[in-house]
Amino acid sequence: MSYFADLYATYVRVYLAAETQYRAANAIWLIGIVLEPLIYLSVWSAVAATQGGEVAGFTPGDFAAYYLVLTLVNQLTSDWHMWEFQYRVQLGHFAFLLIRPVHPIHGDIAENLAHKIAMQVVLVPALGLLALAFRPHFATNFESLVLFVPALAFAFALRFAFEWMVALACFWTTRVMAVNRAYFMVLLFLSGQVAPLEILPGWLAAIANALPFRFMIAFPVEVALGRLPVNEILDGLALQAVWTAACVALLALLWPAALRRFASVGG
Amino acid sequence: MRGALRIVWTFAKLGFQNEAAYRANFWIQIFESLVNVGSAVAAVSLVFTRTESLAGWRPPELVALLGIYFAVYGAIHVVIAPSLMKFMEDVRQGTLDFMLTKPADSQLLVSTSEIRVWKLVDFALGAGILAYGVAGLSERIGPLELLGFAIALAAGVAIVYAFWLLLATLAFWFVRLENLLMIFWNTYQAARWPVGIYPRWLRISLTAIVPVALAVTVPAEALAGRLTFANLALVCGVAVTLLAVSRWFWLRGLQRYSGASA
Amino acid sequence: MGAPAISVEKLAKTYLVPVREAGLRAALVSLFRRESRRVTAVDAIGFSVEPGEVVGFLGPNGAGKTTTLKMLSGLLHPTDGEAHVLGHVPWRREHAFLQRITLVMGQRNQLIWDIPVADSMERNRAIYGLDRARYRRVLDELVELLELGSLLERPVRNLSLGERMKCELAVALLHEPQMLFLDEPTIGVDVTMQRRIREFIADYNRRTGATVLLTSHYMADVEALCRRVIVIHHGRILFDGLLAALVASFASHKTVSVQIAGEIPDLSGYGEVVSRDGERVALRVPKAETPKVTARLLADLPISDLVVEDPPIEEVIERVFAAESVP
Repeated sequence: MSYFADLYATYVRVYLAAETQYRAANAIWLIGIVLEPLIYLSVWSAVAATQGGEVAGFTPGDFAAYYLVLTLVNQLTSDWHMWEFQYRVQLGHFAFLLIRPVHPIHGDIAENLAHKIAMQVVLVPALGLLALAFRPHFATNFESLVLFVPALAFAFALRFAFEWMVALACFWTTRVMAVNRAYFMVLLFLSGQVAPLEILPGWLAAIANALPFRFMIAFPVEVALGRLPVNEILDGLALQAVWTAACVALLALLWPAALRRFASVGG
Repeated sequence: MRGALRIVWTFAKLGFQNEAAYRANFWIQIFESLVNVGSAVAAVSLVFTRTESLAGWRPPELVALLGIYFAVYGAIHVVIAPSLMKFMEDVRQGTLDFMLTKPADSQLLVSTSEIRVWKLVDFALGAGILAYGVAGLSERIGPLELLGFAIALAAGVAIVYAFWLLLATLAFWFVRLENLLMIFWNTYQAARWPVGIYPRWLRISLTAIVPVALAVTVPAEALAGRLTFANLALVCGVAVTLLAVSRWFWLRGLQRYSGASA
Repeated sequence: MGAPAISVEKLAKTYLVPVREAGLRAALVSLFRRESRRVTAVDAIGFSVEPGEVVGFLGPNGAGKTTTLKMLSGLLHPTDGEAHVLGHVPWRREHAFLQRITLVMGQRNQLIWDIPVADSMERNRAIYGLDRARYRRVLDELVELLELGSLLERPVRNLSLGERMKCELAVALLHEPQMLFLDEPTIGVDVTMQRRIREFIADYNRRTGATVLLTSHYMADVEALCRRVIVIHHGRILFDGLLAALVASFASHKTVSVQIAGEIPDLSGYGEVVSRDGERVALRVPKAETPKVTARLLADLPISDLVVEDPPIEEVIERVFAAESVP
């Protein structure tokens, strides 16, 4: 296992060096990351204003807290490789990855970690400034914050595995962008980005609770905000762990199939 | 004029042929448009499960605004966006001269070189949603409102075009610009909702720095019968100013590129 | 004589390719109906390569060279046939196999674009699990052989194509592979650097005994590097043998192109007239006679331009294709 320790340490160091070259791009990226939750925050605050100050138990201060934490968690669990995977194959770079005696996912995970480190450096201060502007209302507790850590870790693993699987669609279809976009739309609604899941109408909330997307973003946010009692958090963690294990297992099954497909049609 | 139209038609044919090469791509484009529009409509519906008016906007008015948003989005993507993106790529690759030596105004050519015909689907969807919203409006739209709407919409589209051109012209100075366009896309998202819901500082940035809010909200205000003369004058003024500034900037950029001094 | 480094038997690869005609109407039709046809990229080829050989795969674009290379490096599954490389079945992609091979593709980078070359090398060191002492030794040798010097500290995007290829070679050889797959490694590189790269590959093969399989459509690559050449065209092997035999039999002529101002006389006394294009005439002249013929042309006629070239690969291959089997 010291092979993997050395591998990740080296990868992260190398990719962090690359990140310093993308500072301008990252700054522009930051605007996008921050703007979308701001839009929804503004929308729901405006709704609350017409409903006597709250919607489903959320005041504007609660919404501000929710969306600020959501922005952070969203960035900490996100990945971009599914948007590039198709090009990686078409432009021939994938061949280099296959020639190496290590699974390509490790490089992607390490690159993702390096990017997160680079982004946090600008994201956290930006969120701090926004907190001054929007005056969020935090009412969390110590247990919740402690349990937030495993919730976040599982969320990252679950989302990464799932999205890497979606990326593998490029071996079976030529236009992957549509698949990616459809996935993103589903994620938008069912992971708590458009609105906190409590605000969704009953039937949609039921669907959201049955699917893994809630555990990619909304669940860690709910934990961090102290909106769930401890026993519910623990139940949620267990369910999250099951989803994560299932996705990782599915990915492990899908990968050889994807390789076989690549090896029969080329790229 | 004939010559310019002929060139534009040739680009359109080529655009369609190239994209139809991927049969799946065509249907998937339509699918993508439906997904985009569908999720925006779903978000609006979700909001209206919890309230009956959003910052003074009632459901049909908001739906109409959404229709304008997508119609303008579709219109940008049929010609302006793909052409200007190709232009930026040409500058990067050094293949721009191919475009500049043709016997027509360079700004026209560069703005119309790529035509994605199926993006009219987005436009059509937007128009359809707009019609649906308008049908549900409580007050009938009189000729005055319609006129205001037409002017505001024309001005709005002009603003978006001029703004795109300004951004794209930066390619003459900074080679890696795709990221800058990201700013546009992200801020354009904000135009899906009436400007009034945003806190003051955000509203000002949207109107002054990236004037997308004007392009969508003001025409919608016209349809809702809430258009003030001040706003109409504002949007027209900004349109004319931006068109002039972007044209001037374009010529400066061209000069720099071809090394001429006159 | 131990086991061969590469052994290939009846290896074949066919693809299903969508088919479409040009024009607006055909494009509309293609929205509703899709047709495809079978394309044979590689058609039941067989050969074997001994350890330490440098073999050139020669053929025009689309001949099947890259497809064969991809099958032998494990990237593609054949439709039929067998192959063994260093005792492994390539497309099983066994760990031990991947540790012993390397792939270099012309104009494709595995180096990370925006950071110094040295960082990409570190990354590969970690991937192949090389211990630092060994890595340092190998890297120092490669830096010396390829004259990389200051290149290591520069970001890849600041390097010229030739410098990039040298670095690509270096990074690909860090793990001291025994099997080198080189796919058009000199394409797009300037002439001086092409020579440098060829010299390096030959030198590397001599020092380490690594087997090299090189594809190219440049005759010069193959001439400089490979004693043995396999000519492939339309997915079939047309010639497999010593380069000397191929050159002697089929590239025995040179093409002399002259440009004459004014009226062009009958040039058949100088060589075989191959083509005539306005003021330009191309002559096919036996290699040995080329200096004499050129001198005569320049002396006798008002020549405004004269170029002496090897026959294009296509012509050599046409001749190989046209001939019966070589004795």
